Amino acid sequence: MSENIERRRFLKGMGAASLILGPMGCTSVEDDSKNANKPHYVMVFDQNKCVGCGECKEACNVANNLPDGKSKLLMEHQSGGVEGLACPHCGKEKCNCERKFVRVSCQQCKNAPCVSVCPTGAAHKDPETGIVTMDASKCAGCKYCIGACPYNARFINEETDVADNCDFCLNTKLAKGELPACVQQCKYDALIFGDANDPTSYVNKLLAVKDSVRMKPQFGTEPSLRYIPVVKLGV
Amino acid sequence: MDGSMEFTMGLSEGVAWPWPIAVYLFLAGISGGSLVVALAIRFFKGQTANTPLYKAASLISFVTIALGMLCLVLDLTNPLFFWRILVFYNFTSVMSVGVIALCVYIPLTAVLCLYAFEDEIKSIPALSILLPIINMLKPVRKPCEVTALILAAAVCAYTGFLISALIRFPLINTAVLPALFIASGVSAGAAASKMLSVFLFKEDMHSSELKILHGAEWPIMIAEILFICMIAMSLATGNAGAQSAFEAFTSGVWANLFWIGVVGVGFLGPILLNFATGKTFSHSAKAFYLSGVCAISGMMCLRLFILYAGQTYAI
Ligand code: SF4
Ligand code: SF4
Repeated sequence: MSENIERRRFLKGMGAASLILGPMGCTSVEDDSKNANKPHYVMVFDQNKCVGCGECKEACNVANNLPDGKSKLLMEHQSGGVEGLACPHCGKEKCNCERKFVRVSCQQCKNAPCVSVCPTGAAHKDPETGIVTMDASKCAGCKYCIGACPYNARFINEETDVADNCDFCLNTKLAKGELPACVQQCKYDALIFGDANDPTSYVNKLLAVKDSVRMKPQFGTEPSLRYIPVVKLGV
Repeated sequence: MDGSMEFTMGLSEGVAWPWPIAVYLFLAGISGGSLVVALAIRFFKGQTANTPLYKAASLISFVTIALGMLCLVLDLTNPLFFWRILVFYNFTSVMSVGVIALCVYIPLTAVLCLYAFEDEIKSIPALSILLPIINMLKPVRKPCEVTALILAAAVCAYTGFLISALIRFPLINTAVLPALFIASGVSAGAAASKMLSVFLFKEDMHSSELKILHGAEWPIMIAEILFICMIAMSLATGNAGAQSAFEAFTSGVWANLFWIGVVGVGFLGPILLNFATGKTFSHSAKAFYLSGVCAISGMMCLRLFILYAGQTYAI
Protein backbone atom coordinates (compact mmCIF):
# COMPACT_ATOMS: atom_id res chain seq x y z
CA MET A 1 0.00 0.00 0.00
CA SER A 2 1.17 3.46 -0.79
CA GLU A 3 0.74 4.27 2.85
CA ASN A 4 3.50 1.91 3.87
CA ILE A 5 5.87 3.10 1.21
CA GLU A 6 5.09 6.57 2.30
CA ARG A 7 5.84 5.74 5.90
CA ARG A 8 9.26 4.43 4.99
CA ARG A 9 9.97 7.52 2.90
CA PHE A 10 8.82 9.70 5.72
CA LEU A 11 11.08 7.99 8.23
CA LYS A 12 13.96 8.30 5.82
CA GLY A 13 13.13 11.98 5.45
CA MET A 14 13.16 12.47 9.18
CA GLY A 15 16.57 10.82 9.30
CA ALA A 16 17.90 13.14 6.62
CA ALA A 17 16.45 16.14 8.42
CA SER A 18 18.28 15.25 11.60
CA LEU A 19 21.50 14.94 9.61
CA ILE A 20 21.06 18.42 8.16
CA LEU A 21 20.44 19.81 11.58
CA GLY A 22 23.37 17.91 13.04
CA PRO A 23 26.78 19.55 13.02
CA MET A 24 28.14 17.00 10.53
CA GLY A 25 25.42 17.60 7.98
CA CYS A 26 25.87 15.83 4.68
CA THR A 27 27.35 18.19 2.13
CA SER A 28 25.25 17.29 -0.86
CA VAL A 29 22.17 18.52 0.99
CA GLU A 30 23.86 21.60 2.32
CA ASP A 31 24.62 22.68 -1.22
CA ASP A 32 20.91 23.10 -1.89
CA SER A 33 19.37 26.47 -1.36
CA LYS A 34 18.31 27.09 2.20
CA ASN A 35 14.65 27.03 1.36
CA ALA A 36 14.66 23.65 -0.28
CA ASN A 37 16.19 22.13 2.83
CA LYS A 38 13.26 23.21 4.92
CA PRO A 39 10.57 20.61 4.91
CA HIS A 40 7.07 21.61 3.93
CA TYR A 41 4.75 19.03 5.34
CA VAL A 42 1.51 18.70 3.48
CA MET A 43 -1.48 16.48 3.79
CA VAL A 44 -3.65 15.49 0.87
CA PHE A 45 -7.26 14.46 1.35
CA ASP A 46 -8.62 12.46 -1.56
CA GLN A 47 -12.37 12.85 -1.73
CA ASN A 48 -12.62 10.06 -4.29
CA LYS A 49 -11.34 7.57 -1.76
CA CYS A 50 -12.86 8.73 1.51
CA VAL A 51 -15.90 6.66 2.48
CA GLY A 52 -16.71 8.69 5.58
CA CYS A 53 -16.00 5.93 8.08
CA GLY A 54 -14.71 8.52 10.54
CA GLU A 55 -11.92 6.32 11.84
CA CYS A 56 -9.40 9.08 11.22
CA LYS A 57 -11.23 11.21 13.73
CA GLU A 58 -11.28 8.49 16.34
CA ALA A 59 -7.61 7.77 15.84
CA CYS A 60 -6.88 11.48 16.24
CA ASN A 61 -8.85 11.74 19.45
CA VAL A 62 -6.99 8.79 20.92
CA ALA A 63 -3.56 9.87 19.75
CA ASN A 64 -3.96 13.42 20.99
CA ASN A 65 -5.81 12.65 24.19
CA LEU A 66 -8.72 14.95 23.54
CA PRO A 67 -11.56 15.40 26.01
CA ASP A 68 -14.91 13.83 25.14
CA GLY A 69 -16.85 15.65 22.49
CA LYS A 70 -13.85 17.61 21.22
CA SER A 71 -11.97 16.85 18.04
CA LYS A 72 -9.21 18.36 16.03
CA LEU A 73 -10.86 17.14 12.89
CA LEU A 74 -14.40 16.73 11.63
CA MET A 75 -15.93 15.07 8.62
CA GLU A 76 -18.53 17.01 6.72
CA HIS A 77 -21.02 14.89 4.85
CA GLN A 78 -22.10 16.55 1.66
CA SER A 79 -24.78 15.08 -0.54
CA GLY A 80 -24.84 16.33 -4.07
CA GLY A 81 -28.61 16.67 -4.13
CA VAL A 82 -30.52 19.90 -3.79
CA GLU A 83 -33.33 19.81 -1.27
CA GLY A 84 -36.75 19.44 -2.86
CA LEU A 85 -35.33 18.36 -6.20
CA ALA A 86 -34.92 14.88 -7.57
CA CYS A 87 -31.45 13.40 -7.23
CA PRO A 88 -29.64 13.60 -10.56
CA HIS A 89 -28.38 10.04 -10.00
CA CYS A 90 -31.31 7.91 -8.98
CA GLY A 91 -34.23 10.23 -9.58
CA LYS A 92 -35.53 9.92 -6.02
CA GLU A 93 -36.16 12.98 -3.98
CA LYS A 94 -34.73 11.55 -0.78
CA CYS A 95 -31.69 9.48 -1.36
CA ASN A 96 -28.30 8.89 0.02
CA CYS A 97 -26.71 7.76 -3.14
CA GLU A 98 -24.26 10.52 -3.69
CA ARG A 99 -22.06 10.87 -0.68
CA LYS A 100 -19.12 13.12 -0.45
CA PHE A 101 -17.02 13.78 2.57
CA VAL A 102 -14.74 16.65 3.37
CA ARG A 103 -12.14 16.73 6.05
CA VAL A 104 -12.47 19.80 8.28
CA SER A 105 -9.36 20.59 10.24
CA CYS A 106 -6.57 23.12 10.57
CA GLN A 107 -5.32 23.85 7.07
CA GLN A 108 -1.76 24.39 8.27
CA CYS A 109 -1.44 27.74 6.56
CA LYS A 110 1.98 28.81 5.40
CA ASN A 111 0.85 32.34 6.07
CA ALA A 112 -1.12 31.66 9.23
CA PRO A 113 -3.34 34.40 10.69
CA CYS A 114 -3.65 32.52 13.98
CA VAL A 115 0.11 32.77 14.42
CA SER A 116 0.34 36.44 13.54
CA VAL A 117 -2.50 37.55 15.84
CA CYS A 118 -1.61 35.47 18.88
CA PRO A 119 -0.42 37.99 21.49
CA THR A 120 1.71 35.56 23.41
CA GLY A 121 3.27 33.49 20.65
CA ALA A 122 1.43 30.42 21.98
CA ALA A 123 0.15 29.71 18.48
CA HIS A 124 3.42 29.39 16.62
CA LYS A 125 5.24 27.59 13.86
CA ASP A 126 7.49 24.82 14.95
CA PRO A 127 10.90 26.16 13.86
CA GLU A 128 12.14 22.83 12.53
CA THR A 129 9.14 21.57 10.61
CA GLY A 130 7.20 24.77 9.97
CA ILE A 131 4.07 23.10 11.36
CA VAL A 132 1.60 25.39 13.13
CA THR A 133 1.29 24.17 16.67
CA MET A 134 0.59 25.32 20.22
CA ASP A 135 2.72 26.12 23.20
CA ALA A 136 0.01 25.48 25.76
CA SER A 137 2.05 27.00 28.55
CA LYS A 138 1.93 30.42 26.87
CA CYS A 139 -1.71 30.57 25.75
CA ALA A 140 -3.80 33.10 27.65
CA GLY A 141 -7.10 31.85 26.25
CA CYS A 142 -8.01 35.15 24.61
CA LYS A 143 -9.57 33.38 21.60
CA TYR A 144 -8.09 35.89 19.19
CA CYS A 145 -6.71 33.04 17.08
CA ILE A 146 -10.14 31.40 16.93
CA GLY A 147 -11.69 34.55 15.50
CA ALA A 148 -8.76 35.11 13.17
CA CYS A 149 -8.60 31.63 11.65
CA PRO A 150 -10.49 31.90 8.35
CA TYR A 151 -11.34 28.21 8.48
CA ASN A 152 -12.83 28.10 11.97
CA ALA A 153 -10.37 25.31 12.60
CA ARG A 154 -9.37 26.14 16.15
CA PHE A 155 -11.11 25.44 19.42
CA ILE A 156 -10.66 25.70 23.15
CA ASN A 157 -9.68 22.45 24.78
CA GLU A 158 -11.86 22.37 27.88
CA GLU A 159 -9.40 20.26 29.78
CA THR A 160 -6.51 22.64 29.46
CA ASP A 161 -8.47 25.88 28.92
CA VAL A 162 -6.20 26.79 26.03
CA ALA A 163 -6.61 26.90 22.27
CA ASP A 164 -5.76 23.94 20.10
CA ASN A 165 -5.53 22.93 16.45
CA CYS A 166 -4.57 19.97 14.29
CA ASP A 167 -0.80 20.01 14.11
CA PHE A 168 -0.25 16.88 12.05
CA CYS A 169 0.41 15.03 15.33
CA LEU A 170 3.66 16.98 15.63
CA ASN A 171 4.08 16.30 19.31
CA THR A 172 2.57 12.86 19.41
CA LYS A 173 3.18 10.72 16.33
CA LEU A 174 5.68 12.78 14.36
CA ALA A 175 7.85 13.12 17.42
CA LYS A 176 8.19 9.33 17.35
CA GLY A 177 8.92 9.27 13.65
CA GLU A 178 5.47 8.00 12.78
CA LEU A 179 2.88 9.33 10.38
CA PRO A 180 -0.05 11.34 11.80
CA ALA A 181 -2.59 9.08 13.51
CA CYS A 182 -5.34 9.75 10.96
CA VAL A 183 -3.06 8.89 8.06
CA GLN A 184 -1.99 5.66 9.71
CA GLN A 185 -5.57 4.73 10.40
CA CYS A 186 -7.12 5.38 7.00
CA LYS A 187 -7.78 2.04 5.31
CA TYR A 188 -8.75 3.60 2.03
CA ASP A 189 -5.65 5.65 1.31
CA ALA A 190 -7.68 8.83 1.38
CA LEU A 191 -5.02 10.64 3.40
CA ILE A 192 -1.49 11.14 2.22
CA PHE A 193 1.15 12.93 4.22
CA GLY A 194 4.72 13.93 3.54
CA ASP A 195 7.27 16.57 2.71
CA ALA A 196 6.34 18.42 -0.45
CA ASN A 197 9.84 19.88 -0.67
CA ASP A 198 11.38 16.43 -0.99
CA PRO A 199 11.44 15.58 -4.69
CA THR A 200 11.41 11.86 -3.96
CA SER A 201 8.39 11.92 -1.65
CA TYR A 202 5.11 10.32 -2.64
CA VAL A 203 3.11 13.47 -1.92
CA ASN A 204 5.38 15.42 -4.17
CA LYS A 205 4.80 13.00 -7.02
CA LEU A 206 1.11 12.79 -6.29
CA LEU A 207 0.67 16.54 -6.36
CA ALA A 208 2.60 16.65 -9.62
CA VAL A 209 0.12 14.41 -11.39
CA LYS A 210 -3.16 15.11 -9.61
CA ASP A 211 -5.23 18.23 -9.57
CA SER A 212 -5.71 19.35 -6.02
CA VAL A 213 -7.38 22.37 -4.50
CA ARG A 214 -6.89 24.49 -1.43
CA MET A 215 -9.76 25.71 0.66
CA LYS A 216 -10.76 29.37 0.45
CA PRO A 217 -7.64 30.44 -1.40
CA GLN A 218 -8.88 34.03 -1.47
CA PHE A 219 -7.64 34.54 2.06
CA GLY A 220 -4.07 34.22 0.90
CA THR A 221 -3.19 31.93 3.77
CA GLU A 222 -1.61 29.26 1.54
CA PRO A 223 -2.91 26.14 3.26
CA SER A 224 -0.78 22.99 3.37
CA LEU A 225 -3.82 20.78 3.43
CA ARG A 226 -4.84 19.92 -0.10
CA TYR A 227 -7.96 18.28 -1.41
CA ILE A 228 -8.51 16.12 -4.44
CA PRO A 229 -12.17 16.70 -5.27
CA VAL A 230 -14.62 14.33 -6.83
CA VAL A 231 -15.02 15.64 -10.30
CA LYS A 232 -18.29 14.75 -11.86
CA LEU A 233 -18.91 15.30 -15.50
CA GLY A 234 -22.16 16.09 -17.17
CA VAL A 235 -24.42 16.98 -14.27
CA MET B 1 -9.45 24.35 -9.76
CA ASP B 2 -9.10 26.32 -6.58
CA GLY B 3 -12.34 26.82 -4.79
CA SER B 4 -14.25 23.92 -6.33
CA MET B 5 -14.60 22.40 -2.90
CA GLU B 6 -15.73 23.86 0.40
CA PHE B 7 -16.64 22.90 3.88
CA THR B 8 -19.09 24.79 6.01
CA MET B 9 -18.59 23.27 9.43
CA GLY B 10 -16.21 24.60 12.01
CA LEU B 11 -14.48 23.36 15.12
CA SER B 12 -15.73 26.08 17.43
CA GLU B 13 -19.34 27.07 17.79
CA GLY B 14 -20.88 30.46 18.34
CA VAL B 15 -18.94 33.69 18.28
CA ALA B 16 -15.35 33.66 19.42
CA TRP B 17 -15.72 37.01 21.11
CA PRO B 18 -19.02 37.42 22.99
CA TRP B 19 -20.53 40.49 24.65
CA PRO B 20 -17.89 41.13 27.32
CA ILE B 21 -15.54 42.05 24.50
CA ALA B 22 -18.14 44.47 23.11
CA VAL B 23 -18.40 46.01 26.58
CA TYR B 24 -14.63 46.21 26.73
CA LEU B 25 -14.46 47.91 23.33
CA PHE B 26 -17.15 50.30 24.56
CA LEU B 27 -15.41 51.14 27.83
CA ALA B 28 -11.99 51.51 26.23
CA GLY B 29 -13.55 53.80 23.61
CA ILE B 30 -15.16 56.01 26.27
CA SER B 31 -11.96 56.09 28.27
CA GLY B 32 -9.84 57.18 25.34
CA GLY B 33 -12.49 59.47 23.92
CA SER B 34 -13.11 61.43 27.10
CA LEU B 35 -9.40 62.03 27.64
CA VAL B 36 -8.89 63.08 24.03
CA VAL B 37 -11.54 65.80 24.25
CA ALA B 38 -10.58 67.05 27.70
CA LEU B 39 -6.86 67.23 26.95
CA ALA B 40 -7.40 68.68 23.50
CA ILE B 41 -9.49 71.50 24.99
CA ARG B 42 -6.93 71.98 27.74
CA PHE B 43 -4.08 72.41 25.27
CA PHE B 44 -6.18 74.40 22.84
CA LYS B 45 -7.20 76.91 25.50
CA GLY B 46 -3.90 76.83 27.35
CA GLN B 47 -5.56 75.96 30.63
CA THR B 48 -3.56 75.26 33.76
CA ALA B 49 -6.29 74.91 36.37
CA ASN B 50 -8.15 71.69 37.11
CA THR B 51 -11.38 72.43 35.29
CA PRO B 52 -14.52 70.40 35.97
CA LEU B 53 -14.22 68.87 32.52
CA TYR B 54 -10.64 67.80 33.18
CA LYS B 55 -11.64 66.25 36.49
CA ALA B 56 -14.60 64.45 34.97
CA ALA B 57 -12.60 63.16 32.03
CA SER B 58 -9.67 61.88 34.08
CA LEU B 59 -12.00 60.12 36.48
CA ILE B 60 -14.02 58.57 33.66
CA SER B 61 -10.98 57.47 31.73
CA PHE B 62 -9.45 55.73 34.72
CA VAL B 63 -12.63 54.02 35.91
CA THR B 64 -13.80 52.87 32.49
CA ILE B 65 -10.47 51.46 31.40
CA ALA B 66 -10.15 49.62 34.71
CA LEU B 67 -13.62 48.10 34.25
CA GLY B 68 -12.77 47.33 30.65
CA MET B 69 -9.71 45.40 31.74
CA LEU B 70 -11.92 43.44 34.10
CA CYS B 71 -14.19 42.46 31.18
CA LEU B 72 -11.19 41.47 29.14
CA VAL B 73 -9.71 39.30 31.85
CA LEU B 74 -13.03 37.67 32.72
CA ASP B 75 -13.54 36.74 29.08
CA LEU B 76 -10.35 34.68 28.98
CA THR B 77 -11.03 30.96 29.07
CA ASN B 78 -9.18 30.95 32.35
CA PRO B 79 -8.81 34.41 33.94
CA LEU B 80 -5.84 33.15 35.92
CA PHE B 81 -3.88 32.97 32.67
CA PHE B 82 -4.03 36.73 32.11
CA TRP B 83 -0.42 37.23 33.22
CA ARG B 84 0.70 35.36 30.13
CA ILE B 85 -0.37 38.30 27.95
CA LEU B 86 1.76 40.57 30.10
CA VAL B 87 4.82 38.36 30.02
CA PHE B 88 4.91 37.05 26.45
CA TYR B 89 4.86 39.40 23.48
CA ASN B 90 4.38 38.97 19.77
CA PHE B 91 4.85 42.17 17.84
CA THR B 92 2.88 41.06 14.81
CA SER B 93 -0.20 40.87 17.03
CA VAL B 94 -2.38 43.95 17.38
CA MET B 95 -3.43 42.71 20.79
CA SER B 96 0.13 42.51 22.00
CA VAL B 97 0.92 46.04 20.80
CA GLY B 98 -2.28 47.22 22.47
CA VAL B 99 -1.26 45.60 25.73
CA ILE B 100 1.97 47.58 25.65
CA ALA B 101 0.05 50.81 25.06
CA LEU B 102 -2.40 49.97 27.84
CA CYS B 103 0.43 49.20 30.24
CA VAL B 104 1.49 52.84 29.92
CA TYR B 105 -1.96 54.30 29.43
CA ILE B 106 -3.65 52.85 32.52
CA PRO B 107 -1.07 54.15 35.03
CA LEU B 108 -1.15 57.48 33.19
CA THR B 109 -4.90 57.84 33.67
CA ALA B 110 -4.33 57.19 37.37
CA VAL B 111 -1.64 59.89 37.42
CA LEU B 112 -3.98 62.33 35.69
CA CYS B 113 -6.55 61.62 38.40
CA LEU B 114 -3.96 62.51 41.02
CA TYR B 115 -3.27 65.82 39.25
CA ALA B 116 -6.95 66.55 38.80
CA PHE B 117 -8.00 65.83 42.36
CA GLU B 118 -5.06 67.36 44.16
CA ASP B 119 -7.25 69.73 46.20
CA GLU B 120 -9.75 67.05 47.09
CA ILE B 121 -6.97 64.70 48.15
CA LYS B 122 -5.48 67.43 50.33
CA SER B 123 -8.78 67.87 52.13
CA ILE B 124 -9.09 64.18 53.02
CA PRO B 125 -6.54 63.27 55.70
CA ALA B 126 -6.72 59.56 54.96
CA LEU B 127 -5.36 60.18 51.49
CA SER B 128 -2.43 62.32 52.60
CA ILE B 129 0.02 59.54 51.72
CA LEU B 130 -0.67 60.43 48.09
CA LEU B 131 0.55 64.02 48.48
CA PRO B 132 4.29 63.34 48.22
CA ILE B 133 3.59 61.33 45.07
CA ILE B 134 1.66 64.22 43.57
CA ASN B 135 4.46 66.64 44.37
CA MET B 136 6.97 64.30 42.85
CA LEU B 137 4.94 64.00 39.66
CA LYS B 138 4.19 67.70 39.31
CA PRO B 139 7.24 68.69 37.24
CA VAL B 140 6.37 66.13 34.55
CA ARG B 141 2.73 67.07 34.26
CA LYS B 142 2.94 68.46 30.73
CA PRO B 143 4.80 65.49 29.20
CA CYS B 144 2.45 63.13 31.02
CA GLU B 145 -0.55 64.88 29.56
CA VAL B 146 0.86 64.93 26.05
CA THR B 147 1.64 61.22 26.26
CA ALA B 148 -1.81 60.57 27.66
CA LEU B 149 -3.42 62.42 24.77
CA ILE B 150 -1.51 60.41 22.21
CA LEU B 151 -2.16 57.12 23.97
CA ALA B 152 -5.84 57.94 24.48
CA ALA B 153 -6.26 58.36 20.73
CA ALA B 154 -4.21 55.20 20.21
CA VAL B 155 -6.42 53.21 22.57
CA CYS B 156 -9.54 54.33 20.69
CA ALA B 157 -7.97 53.33 17.39
CA TYR B 158 -6.55 50.12 18.80
CA THR B 159 -9.99 48.78 19.67
CA GLY B 160 -10.83 49.09 15.98
CA PHE B 161 -7.56 47.60 14.72
CA LEU B 162 -7.92 44.75 17.19
CA ILE B 163 -11.05 43.39 15.61
CA SER B 164 -10.47 44.51 12.04
CA ALA B 165 -7.68 41.90 11.93
CA LEU B 166 -10.30 39.15 11.84
CA ILE B 167 -10.21 38.45 8.13
CA ARG B 168 -13.06 35.97 7.99
CA PHE B 169 -15.73 38.59 8.74
CA PRO B 170 -16.37 41.14 5.96
CA LEU B 171 -18.22 43.54 8.24
CA ILE B 172 -15.37 43.65 10.73
CA ASN B 173 -12.43 43.34 8.39
CA THR B 174 -12.62 46.86 7.00
CA ALA B 175 -10.04 49.61 6.92
CA VAL B 176 -12.53 52.22 8.10
CA LEU B 177 -13.32 50.46 11.36
CA PRO B 178 -10.53 52.06 13.43
CA ALA B 179 -11.58 55.50 12.22
CA LEU B 180 -15.20 54.74 13.05
CA PHE B 181 -14.19 53.57 16.50
CA ILE B 182 -12.15 56.72 17.12
CA ALA B 183 -15.06 58.93 16.07
CA SER B 184 -17.65 57.06 18.10
CA GLY B 185 -15.31 56.79 21.07
CA VAL B 186 -14.69 60.52 21.01
CA SER B 187 -18.37 61.39 20.76
CA ALA B 188 -19.39 59.04 23.57
CA GLY B 189 -16.41 60.06 25.68
CA ALA B 190 -17.29 63.71 25.19
CA ALA B 191 -20.90 63.04 26.18
CA ALA B 192 -19.85 61.11 29.27
CA SER B 193 -17.38 63.71 30.54
CA LYS B 194 -19.79 66.53 29.75
CA MET B 195 -22.50 64.95 31.85
CA LEU B 196 -20.21 64.10 34.73
CA SER B 197 -18.64 67.55 34.79
CA VAL B 198 -22.07 69.14 35.10
CA PHE B 199 -23.49 66.56 37.47
CA LEU B 200 -20.61 66.05 39.87
CA PHE B 201 -18.30 69.00 39.42
CA LYS B 202 -20.93 71.69 38.96
CA GLU B 203 -19.82 72.91 35.59
CA ASP B 204 -22.19 75.43 34.06
CA MET B 205 -24.15 73.73 31.28
CA HIS B 206 -23.54 76.72 29.02
CA SER B 207 -19.88 77.31 29.85
CA SER B 208 -17.48 78.12 27.06
CA GLU B 209 -15.88 74.68 27.23
CA LEU B 210 -19.12 72.82 26.92
CA LYS B 211 -20.01 75.15 24.05
CA ILE B 212 -16.92 74.00 22.20
CA LEU B 213 -17.94 70.41 22.84
CA HIS B 214 -21.47 71.06 21.64
CA GLY B 215 -20.02 72.57 18.50
CA ALA B 216 -17.66 69.64 17.92
CA GLU B 217 -20.34 67.01 18.47
CA TRP B 218 -22.11 67.47 15.18
CA PRO B 219 -19.12 67.21 12.86
CA ILE B 220 -17.99 64.10 14.73
CA MET B 221 -21.42 62.59 14.35
CA ILE B 222 -21.41 63.35 10.65
CA ALA B 223 -18.03 61.66 10.37
CA GLU B 224 -19.43 58.61 12.17
CA ILE B 225 -22.40 58.42 9.82
CA LEU B 226 -20.08 58.79 6.88
CA PHE B 227 -17.84 55.95 8.08
CA ILE B 228 -20.82 53.67 8.61
CA CYS B 229 -22.06 54.50 5.11
CA MET B 230 -18.62 53.70 3.71
CA ILE B 231 -18.65 50.28 5.37
CA ALA B 232 -22.21 49.58 4.22
CA MET B 233 -21.50 50.70 0.66
CA SER B 234 -18.32 48.68 0.36
CA LEU B 235 -20.22 45.60 1.53
CA ALA B 236 -23.20 46.21 -0.73
CA THR B 237 -21.03 46.64 -3.79
CA GLY B 238 -18.36 44.08 -2.86
CA ASN B 239 -17.91 40.42 -3.70
CA ALA B 240 -20.41 37.70 -2.80
CA GLY B 241 -19.09 37.34 0.74
CA ALA B 242 -19.33 41.07 1.36
CA GLN B 243 -22.82 41.18 -0.09
CA SER B 244 -24.00 38.43 2.20
CA ALA B 245 -22.56 40.35 5.14
CA PHE B 246 -24.55 43.38 4.01
CA GLU B 247 -27.61 41.48 5.19
CA ALA B 248 -26.50 42.40 8.69
CA PHE B 249 -27.97 45.82 7.94
CA THR B 250 -31.20 44.61 6.44
CA SER B 251 -32.44 41.53 8.28
CA GLY B 252 -32.35 39.78 11.57
CA VAL B 253 -32.05 40.81 15.17
CA TRP B 254 -28.76 42.64 14.63
CA ALA B 255 -30.30 44.79 11.93
CA ASN B 256 -32.92 45.83 14.49
CA LEU B 257 -30.19 46.68 16.94
CA PHE B 258 -28.51 48.76 14.27
CA TRP B 259 -31.55 50.69 13.13
CA ILE B 260 -33.14 51.18 16.53
CA GLY B 261 -30.06 51.39 18.72
CA VAL B 262 -27.38 52.96 16.57
CA VAL B 263 -29.40 55.05 14.15
CA GLY B 264 -32.54 55.72 16.19
CA VAL B 265 -31.14 56.26 19.65
CA GLY B 266 -27.56 57.18 18.85
CA PHE B 267 -27.99 59.55 15.91
CA LEU B 268 -31.63 60.61 15.68
CA GLY B 269 -32.02 60.91 19.46
CA PRO B 270 -29.59 63.78 19.98
CA ILE B 271 -30.59 65.45 16.70
CA LEU B 272 -34.28 65.47 17.59
CA LEU B 273 -33.63 66.55 21.17
CA ASN B 274 -31.58 69.50 19.99
CA PHE B 275 -33.32 70.65 16.86
CA ALA B 276 -36.88 69.35 16.87
CA THR B 277 -37.89 70.59 20.29
CA GLY B 278 -38.51 74.13 21.51
CA LYS B 279 -35.59 76.30 22.48
CA THR B 280 -36.45 76.16 26.16
CA PHE B 281 -36.51 72.35 26.21
CA SER B 282 -33.45 71.85 24.07
CA HIS B 283 -31.50 74.07 26.43
CA SER B 284 -32.80 72.39 29.56
CA ALA B 285 -30.90 70.02 31.78
CA LYS B 286 -33.27 67.22 30.80
CA ALA B 287 -32.41 67.53 27.14
CA PHE B 288 -28.72 67.81 28.00
CA TYR B 289 -28.62 64.54 29.93
CA LEU B 290 -30.98 62.72 27.58
CA SER B 291 -28.93 63.46 24.51
CA GLY B 292 -25.76 62.46 26.35
CA VAL B 293 -27.30 59.15 27.34
CA CYS B 294 -28.46 58.68 23.74
CA ALA B 295 -24.96 59.19 22.38
CA ILE B 296 -23.48 56.72 24.83
CA SER B 297 -26.14 54.05 24.33
CA GLY B 298 -25.82 54.45 20.59
CA MET B 299 -22.12 53.78 20.85
CA MET B 300 -22.67 50.65 22.95
CA CYS B 301 -25.18 49.41 20.35
CA LEU B 302 -22.66 50.11 17.61
CA ARG B 303 -19.98 47.96 19.27
CA LEU B 304 -22.47 45.17 19.94
CA PHE B 305 -23.72 45.34 16.37
CA ILE B 306 -20.26 45.28 14.81
CA LEU B 307 -19.06 42.45 17.03
CA TYR B 308 -22.10 40.19 16.85
CA ALA B 309 -23.40 40.88 13.37
CA GLY B 310 -19.82 40.89 12.17
CA GLN B 311 -19.06 37.48 13.60
CA THR B 312 -22.39 36.09 12.46
CA TYR B 313 -21.76 36.83 8.80
CA ALA B 314 -18.55 34.95 8.12
CA ILE B 315 -17.30 34.18 4.63
S1 SF4 C 1 -6.20 26.88 9.38
FE1 SF4 C 1 -6.53 28.31 11.02
S2 SF4 C 1 -5.55 27.34 12.76
FE2 SF4 C 1 -4.74 26.33 10.98
S3 SF4 C 1 -2.87 27.47 10.46
FE3 SF4 C 1 -4.54 28.36 9.26
S4 SF4 C 1 -5.23 30.07 10.51
FE4 SF4 C 1 -4.06 28.73 11.85
S1 SF4 D 1 -6.22 31.91 22.62
FE1 SF4 D 1 -4.08 31.38 23.10
S2 SF4 D 1 -3.22 30.70 21.15
FE2 SF4 D 1 -5.10 31.79 20.69
S3 SF4 D 1 -4.46 33.89 20.28
FE3 SF4 D 1 -5.03 33.80 22.44
S4 SF4 D 1 -3.11 33.36 23.49
FE4 SF4 D 1 -2.76 32.87 21.35
